[in-house]
Amino acid sequence: MRRIVVPIVLAALLAVFGAVPASAYAPVDIVHTERVQAGPYAVTVGFSTWPIRAMRSLDFTFSPDGGIADKSGSLIMTGPEFGPRGSDSPLVRHPRKRDVWGLDVQALNTPGSYTIGFVINGPQGQGEGTLNNLTVLDQPGPPLPLSWAVGTLPLGALLVFLVIVWRRTRPGKRALIV
Amino acid sequence: MDAALPVSAAGLSRADAGTRVAAGSTAARVGPWVVLLGTAITTVGLSWDIQWHVEVGPDTFFTLSHLALYSGSALSGIASLVMVLMSTSAQRAGRAWPHSAGGPPVRVFGGVFTAPLGYLVSGVGAACFLLYGLLDLWWHSIYGFDAVLNTPSHVALFLSICVTMVGSIIVFAAVRDQRRGKAGLLIAVPILIVFAPIPFEGLNNAPLPVAPTLMGAILCAPMLLIMGALVLGRGGAIGIAVVLGAMQAVLWWFSPWAAQAYAVAVGLPMRDGLLPEPPVLPSLIPMFLIVSALVVEGAMWLSHTRRIHFGRLMLPLGALCGLLVGVTLVVQLALTRPMMHVSPGLIVTLAIVGLVLGLPAGYLGTRFGAMLRGDTQGSDATAEVA
Repeated sequence: MRRIVVPIVLAALLAVFGAVPASAYAPVDIVHTERVQAGPYAVTVGFSTWPIRAMRSLDFTFSPDGGIADKSGSLIMTGPEFGPRGSDSPLVRHPRKRDVWGLDVQALNTPGSYTIGFVINGPQGQGEGTLNNLTVLDQPGPPLPLSWAVGTLPLGALLVFLVIVWRRTRPGKRALIV
Repeated sequence: MDAALPVSAAGLSRADAGTRVAAGSTAARVGPWVVLLGTAITTVGLSWDIQWHVEVGPDTFFTLSHLALYSGSALSGIASLVMVLMSTSAQRAGRAWPHSAGGPPVRVFGGVFTAPLGYLVSGVGAACFLLYGLLDLWWHSIYGFDAVLNTPSHVALFLSICVTMVGSIIVFAAVRDQRRGKAGLLIAVPILIVFAPIPFEGLNNAPLPVAPTLMGAILCAPMLLIMGALVLGRGGAIGIAVVLGAMQAVLWWFSPWAAQAYAVAVGLPMRDGLLPEPPVLPSLIPMFLIVSALVVEGAMWLSHTRRIHFGRLMLPLGALCGLLVGVTLVVQLALTRPMMHVSPGLIVTLAIVGLVLGLPAGYLGTRFGAMLRGDTQGSDATAEVA
């Protein structure tokens, strides 16, 4: 038995702890851009995948001409995902591309037409602009119910196990005086 | 599957003989703790990983938090596999494998393996985790590295981890009359209370009155508290609540600290515009479970002094514990989320949700407790899994 167990344990430990944590992260690879005029500021909106599909996460970059150093602002997104009031959040630097604003690995889960709006404050005052009609296509991959059916199999197995043990042990019939 | 559940004198004497054989077995003593350690590492890894995504962001498979998450399940799986192989070897050599070493033996694949029930469950959970790790890889290849919890592959991973944690509880319940069994349960049950609400993320798109993880906490915390109290005996509920509080405190400190320290170590900055929010996973843990624990202790005292069958108390007890968890979660939200507006509507909603979910929590907690008290100890259950 030891001849079987020891190699299994060693192989598994090597596999787990032999993997060196990586400190290199994928660069933000922009494959498509759009231009938006927000008052006096021209903004380049970049997308790391194109066309955009529902549930497929991607990087968004928002790069005003002249850089972000002397500017601030907010990002207003509207569309099927965000309800009637939309989503309003401050423009923040992209974690992997710190010279521009952005959103990292973000997915829009519902297909449809979206808008990305900007309110930018900078040396030339405040400017507003919107990228309209950003189309999000249907999700890739298998139908979602099928994915969920596969994903919840462990729950099904656990429930079957509990039912079997329940029927054998009949916990309701036990004298449970504690 | 066939089973011979009733306890027989022959069965007991065989088990006792086996107990003597294996009493000094290092593996039988160490195995439960290695499985438990794996589940603890997984829990810490998940809390760290969530915080990493919230506060730092960039993801690869080989982040330290991911490695902790996966190595914890691997550790539990390896320990479970080793114990199953050892019990199979003992059975083939004609030596009895004691029920105290992982629960009643179960014949798997027509008797090819003889697996102690607890290790069978924890091992199946760990194996599912590895298989669903492949599904997760495939999912990310289609949908990208989305840092969200509510994808089918992520929920499958969380469910698999929960199965391993259930196995760990069965393993320790098999020796619940011994100090090591009680000590193990006092850690294993709170770990499942921490983790069990996470798979409820899968209901994120369902029209629920409150966040699904909150509903998961309101259902699972009273259920597992009552179950654990019944297995541990009087004082057990308070012990579980105290250990849970300690775990919450450690995770509350560790998760943001580890995310920040790791970001510094790999030269990554923290995200801009972070809000003053509490750490995600620890803030889901009911902070005031001790109140419910005192109620459970009161119910056990009542059952003991008045000789009342605990089953008669389970529904009102569950409802009361659910109500207390729901209402105290409102207090917790008000204390820990400065940006959140706690409205009277939220208080009423969580109170109603607590009452409603408390009923099944009391029922299931009592029944699961009875199952663990009765059939993982002393009985000679042998089942067969094709």
